[in-house]
Amino acid sequence: MTTSTPATINSHPSSPPALGPERPAAWPKRTVRTLANGMQVVLAERHAFPKISAQLFFRSGNAVVAHRYPGLAEITATVIRTGTASRSSRQIEEDLRRMGADLGTSAGADASAIAISGVAEFSEGLLELLADLARNASFPVDEFERERRQKLEGLRIERATPSFLATERLRHVLFGKHPYAIVAPTEAQVEAYRHEQLPEFYRHNYSPANALLVVVGDFPGDAMFEQIEKVFGAWKSPAPAPVDSPAPPHHSGRHVHLVHLPGAVQSQVLVGNLGITRRDPDWYRTVLANSIYGGAFHSRLVINIREQKGYTYSPRSGLNALRQFGYFSVHAAVRNEVTAATLTEIFYEMDRMRSLPVTNEELESARSYLSGVFSLGVATQDGVLGQISGVYLDRLPEDYLETYRARIHALTADDILAAARRHFDSPNAQIVVVGDRAQLAAQAALFGEVTEYDAQGTQI
Amino acid sequence: MKKLHIPVEHTTLANGLRVVVSPDHSAPVVTVGVYYQIGFRLEPRGRSGFAHLFEHMMFQGSENAGKMEHIRLINSSGGVLNGTTNYDITNYFESVPSNALERVLWLEADRMRALKVDDENLRNQRDVVKEEVRVNVMNQPYGGFPWLDLPPIAFRNWPNAHNFYGDFADLDAATLADVRNFYRTYYSPNNAVLLMLGDFDPAEAFVFANRYFDDIPSHPLPPRADVSEPPQAEERRGEVVEKFGTLPALAIGYTVPPRTTSDWYAAAILDRVLHGGRAGRIYRELVLEKQIAVETDGSMDVFDANGPTQMVTRIFHRPEFTSDATIAAYDEIIRELREKEITEEELAPVKVKFRADYYSMLESGMGSHMPRFGLMHYLACFTLFDGDPHRINTVLDGFMAVTPAQVKAAAQKYLVPQNRAIVARRPAESENANGDSR
Repeated sequence: MTTSTPATINSHPSSPPALGPERPAAWPKRTVRTLANGMQVVLAERHAFPKISAQLFFRSGNAVVAHRYPGLAEITATVIRTGTASRSSRQIEEDLRRMGADLGTSAGADASAIAISGVAEFSEGLLELLADLARNASFPVDEFERERRQKLEGLRIERATPSFLATERLRHVLFGKHPYAIVAPTEAQVEAYRHEQLPEFYRHNYSPANALLVVVGDFPGDAMFEQIEKVFGAWKSPAPAPVDSPAPPHHSGRHVHLVHLPGAVQSQVLVGNLGITRRDPDWYRTVLANSIYGGAFHSRLVINIREQKGYTYSPRSGLNALRQFGYFSVHAAVRNEVTAATLTEIFYEMDRMRSLPVTNEELESARSYLSGVFSLGVATQDGVLGQISGVYLDRLPEDYLETYRARIHALTADDILAAARRHFDSPNAQIVVVGDRAQLAAQAALFGEVTEYDAQGTQI
Repeated sequence: MKKLHIPVEHTTLANGLRVVVSPDHSAPVVTVGVYYQIGFRLEPRGRSGFAHLFEHMMFQGSENAGKMEHIRLINSSGGVLNGTTNYDITNYFESVPSNALERVLWLEADRMRALKVDDENLRNQRDVVKEEVRVNVMNQPYGGFPWLDLPPIAFRNWPNAHNFYGDFADLDAATLADVRNFYRTYYSPNNAVLLMLGDFDPAEAFVFANRYFDDIPSHPLPPRADVSEPPQAEERRGEVVEKFGTLPALAIGYTVPPRTTSDWYAAAILDRVLHGGRAGRIYRELVLEKQIAVETDGSMDVFDANGPTQMVTRIFHRPEFTSDATIAAYDEIIRELREKEITEEELAPVKVKFRADYYSMLESGMGSHMPRFGLMHYLACFTLFDGDPHRINTVLDGFMAVTPAQVKAAAQKYLVPQNRAIVARRPAESENANGDSR
């Protein structure tokens, strides 16, 4: 069709058209089952493109080994893809390509994951490879040594990256002796890994009773479940025992943590306090408060320090929910000379959220925003996978996805005020600034006692 | 191989605006984009970075929606928005629940019809853009490597060879008159395509397009600028100091054949033979086998460039290997491709992966909140550059038909020193007598 449709010429209206009625969300067909060996399986069908994505999680990450071998879960995950009892590293990579597949193996604080995605016509082979990696990894010594060298180089780059340094310092401060304090090992800790620690971690934690498998994409659910039963059904091993951790510290009063990065031409500001998990009854109201404070483009903080003052490009606040605890944080990369001014505005907006109820217009706008963005987030294969795995990894209620929008719409201005008072802890917030200390120290000192560190985390 | 049947309909309004729609009712959301055929290449001389600065200005207000109104209206409708500047296009896009489609079109029409910005907006966004450049380039390890490093070394024609993010002096020199002039010159309906994807009835979408866009006046576009490169006769090399990173790095770029030529299909497959992840020849040889490099990657802008562009390899190598030794090992890989036909056993999986990546791009969003962003982007490129959005369903055939002989021929023709540029990122501390300041 290349001709013009008949034009109905109107003069352009000067106000935006009203919204039509909201259409109901269409959830992908979801099947949830648990195998006899304890592996939990969630399937969601989406047929628009001939692709499937599978993620196999084990509910043990770096946190369970943080005090003995920081980062051991991660290096274990990294080396898994380099060999199994029957496949060499090269064979694995060629098998992946033959099936049009991508593979990722990784570990965060709370979980280790093997993620595979590829063309739907190869779904059987993709699942077989996934099971092979989960059950028969062989940890070749030379591949381990190569990955260790790569990890060391990666750490050197991370510790020259302002946003990484800021997060690393804030986590140390907020979590103290709790394992969530550690986001990455030191170079010396990586040098000290011993090869046999990897298969040991793997045998102990990669077990079906500790696993969640989520598969999303173009497949018939029953056939997919049969294939899963075939490759994982006979696998038996017990779940690891839970690990106890010391509680995070209590902070009273603001404190500034300045990380000196020589040569920095900008100041990376990160402010935060200990917060809640997604299982907390305050979760929804705090999410809504965050979106009005600094969690969306049209939020108070972004309007203030970006659109009015031009201090920064992409300031945002966020709720970071880990399994045992969460934290609230606000970040902005600003030009050096407005570091103190930025902190002033961050606290001004936080205190305003804690002092006065939001307006009705803000409330309605933020509720629609979160509800709409939620619908957008489940309209892609990756989005569905992320939402589903979040629900089952955090053991949220089964109807979390279906009821989310209604729960958000039910919140009031009082809910937001209460959430801000409880969870935006302005008087005791911890302040991290990363940059050139000659440019920043005097400004930082306006907000509390200052402790200075180098990029390796050593106090200076 | 399953054939793609993505529904696509298109029309052209009387003012020259192309309209492309692709309905999909699997989720109650729509993604809308307006792509203007203007990018880095055609920004005014003495105004490097202007196309991108201008993109920011498009969020600063229009006749009936003042500053922050665009953002407020989209966010409060439950949607998200963004824009990007590229070599040959600048795009603006929103994803919203489908009940907000008409509102999004009203907003996009309002800023296509009449931008309304002032000096204060310009000063504000100039400051924001400078922080953007600092956070993404000047204050990051390997910031701008190689997308800002390589063009000035590889190319000779200013449109292809200047600093696309902008020198701060040029950003400071930009005036409101420049903004108005750029807007008048390039932001005309006959230089754009409007795309709608998702949960709507196509007939209704065309009615909306007419209602909001049809009476926006068009104006004549300037003659197409000459962005071609003079013939290259020698290998080109350059060096950039790396301020934060500790590994030496190389970027090697080969200029590729123009889009839709038969060599273009072969070059895109060649790119995947070299760079297809860990099974690609470069990663396999340099990282896994010889262990000269710590990390390599590479790509070619297959679909979204409409002028001189390169297939680029990035190599982060161990400091104990010199850049010459690293390049020599790289050249071994290239020599083999030029001398020996690749086997069908290697080519077939490369094609499967190419097809899989294409599906992924069409299916995926930008982040997790821009459903169908990839489909929108390719439809826009096929419409603006090739005049045919339906290529979305057929373009794969050309890549799947590439033969081993064509891959070898493309390697012989394009992977030659007089068609390449190399830029080295050298860590600043290796200039010191001892490099022990880690």
